[in-house]
Amino acid sequence: MSYQEKRTIVSIITGVIILAAYIIYSYGRYQTGTISSDDLKVWAGIILIFIGIGVISTIIIQIIFHILLSISIAIQENMKTGKCDDKEIEKTINAQMLTDEMDKLIELKSMKVGFVIAGIGFVIALTTQLLNYPAAVLLNVMFISFSVGSIFEGLTQIYYYRRGIKNG
Amino acid sequence: MAKKFRITNNIRRFRFFANEMTQQQLAEKVGASRQTILAIEAGKYSPSLELAFKIADAFDVKIGEVFDYEVYET
Repeated sequence: MSYQEKRTIVSIITGVIILAAYIIYSYGRYQTGTISSDDLKVWAGIILIFIGIGVISTIIIQIIFHILLSISIAIQENMKTGKCDDKEIEKTINAQMLTDEMDKLIELKSMKVGFVIAGIGFVIALTTQLLNYPAAVLLNVMFISFSVGSIFEGLTQIYYYRRGIKNG
Repeated sequence: MAKKFRITNNIRRFRFFANEMTQQQLAEKVGASRQTILAIEAGKYSPSLELAFKIADAFDVKIGEVFDYEVYET
């Protein structure tokens, strides 16, 4: 499995955990009656907090992932050559992390999938208002569709790395 | 029946004749990742014209000797 695939899997897992945490937390609070569906300020606050948590945890998890990856490469090099040459390890890490035209094409195509899902979510969110649902539903549908779009973007990347991608 | 075409390549053969050059070595020569060379070799990715020229240049041959395309009906 390539570096890009591993990194994408880590991103997907992070995204799923944050989305699940948001749903459990917000639904739990809604069930217990501590927030109502009309209290837009509270919902906006919760969503903003979770966006912050998402950004920070993604950065932290990516840092941890890169540290673990470097360690695993160092161990592999050590087992292969019997020595721990810093320059060789750095060279291997740089070669693995190289982003080229195929990675960019896959990123573009999968980003399109993410945007389509987020776009559909946006339309659904607007439709809920025409159907007289509370405003909190609009916020939730938008936030969840953006999150799901991001997860599907990752899944599409994995799909293209596995199946291959045709140029053009 | 619709006509389709696919790009084929002889990279594996050329690597063999280039003193069993590894995919990583070829990747380093052309400035791509090993994953991309692997995908091209397996026919899972059609490289850009620029990368195709670079690959041909790495083997010191013309692009048509490395890459070709075949038409098939579906």
